[in-house]
Amino acid sequence: MGQYTSLIVERHGPVGWLLNNRPEQLNAMTAQMREEFADAWNELDGDPDVRVIVHTGEGRAFQTGVDVTEIATDGLGFERYRRSVEDNDFHFTAWHQKVSKPVITAVNGICAGGGFHWIADADIVIAASDAQFFDPHVSVGQVVAMEAIGLLRKMPAEAVMRMAFVGRYERMSAQRAYELGMVSQIVDPPERLREEAQALAEKIARNSPAAMAATKRALWQAMELGLTDACRAGARELVSMWGHPDQEEGPRAFAERRDPVWQPLSSG
Amino acid sequence: MEGRAAQLMGYETLVVERRGPVGWLIFDRPRSGNAMDGVMFAELERAWTELDADDGVRVIVNTGNGPAFQTGLDMVQLARDPEALREQSRRTAKAELRFTAWHLGVAKPVIAAVNGTCAGGGLHFVADADVVIAASDATFLDPHVSVGQVSAYETIGLLRKMPAEAVMRMALVGRHERMPAERAYELGMVSKIVDPPERLREEAQALGEKFARNSPAAMAATKRALWEAMEHGLTEACRLGGRQLMSMWGHPDQEEGPLAFAEKRDPVWQPMGRS
Repeated sequence: MGQYTSLIVERHGPVGWLLNNRPEQLNAMTAQMREEFADAWNELDGDPDVRVIVHTGEGRAFQTGVDVTEIATDGLGFERYRRSVEDNDFHFTAWHQKVSKPVITAVNGICAGGGFHWIADADIVIAASDAQFFDPHVSVGQVVAMEAIGLLRKMPAEAVMRMAFVGRYERMSAQRAYELGMVSQIVDPPERLREEAQALAEKIARNSPAAMAATKRALWQAMELGLTDACRAGARELVSMWGHPDQEEGPRAFAERRDPVWQPLSSG
Repeated sequence: MEGRAAQLMGYETLVVERRGPVGWLIFDRPRSGNAMDGVMFAELERAWTELDADDGVRVIVNTGNGPAFQTGLDMVQLARDPEALREQSRRTAKAELRFTAWHLGVAKPVIAAVNGTCAGGGLHFVADADVVIAASDATFLDPHVSVGQVSAYETIGLLRKMPAEAVMRMALVGRHERMPAERAYELGMVSKIVDPPERLREEAQALGEKFARNSPAAMAATKRALWEAMEHGLTEACRLGGRQLMSMWGHPDQEEGPLAFAEKRDPVWQPMGRS
């Protein structure tokens, strides 16, 4: 298990937890944190006891993007950042790391700018009722690209564009994020967010790990392709489960009115 | 919306003006539901281009005079103007339309402020805007199939931007049903409903002024990144988005932004360069 200083990695039953842990800096990402993300996603994805991953933050913010102070002061930060953009080489979200398990982002407060990476790249997003969303990039002379591009595939585009251009002069409420389908559940009171995230994750953990992994591949791959090609590629994922023990176990358990016993996800 | 508007002259079917940093492009054929005739097609191309090139303009608002926002082709007028009809048919066939901000590659943020009925070809201006707000009494419909025409460009654009079922329903139900502003808001087709409707322009101006406080160059690169994303698969779109990110490196606004933030003052942005 890795040692983390800017993240907390925990397990609760079948649920792996990844917590942003720089609350004083509103969980802004340093180079250190970026590297820890890469390790933490791999660790949780590789752990056969973890079936679902929940990602949230400590403190009053979920995440607020890159730690600008570090980039401005350590002399190396921007150079590293430049290289990763130039090489299109990112490792800090589950999507970057090709995590095969379902990922739930639980937005516990402010989500700003680069924080949207973990909304765009999660499978499921829930939010505390006092969560707020905004993208200040253009208000400080920066371009917004990847996060918003990811969101464009997943929700009505107008709302994404509005956030991109209004910058820091307006915030989107959790309620509006719910209406738009950016998040699927609002938790009120906000203190119950982790409890609800755990409960949702435990529901998901009752499903076949192999079937969920193939489903996840099919749906994310669909974002790369036109409709007909996406269906064709999706069919390959469907067929990939044929002959898998879970495909017999599922109907049998249903007929016998018991919980199915799934095969662990093969690390292949 | 009192005074201080600088009207740009020489338009017959549009009102084109500047209020502070906001350029206004207003459809002005209210007696014909602001439908587009040959003159309007030509003027739209000129007006978008003029506002986009005007250094004093940082954001463009598009709305209509009268009870309608925009109702598409003026078939009556075009029937009397076979030359214009032929030209428009040619452009439609070759996908070379030149009357929306997207057709013309406008670099600045565009807000559509839907002031009333938006029908058929009027949906072009909703699909092709960056941001859309609507008066509470605005309605949306696509009567193409009710008059034996195909709906394609407008609805294809909308399919990328909002839940698809609603687009298909509008396309197939034709003139026999209208979508109210409230439903458009729920679906995320518009981000704000203005009530009472008379306050629409005021709200559009206020929103435009918020946009105008942001870096023009960063907004232009962001706009390129997000619209380009609609052309590609997710991974490729992100890779191309990285290029737009990099395009701002070394730009003075990238230093000015954080500096102004640290000094708790409004940033002074570079005007947009002509490239």
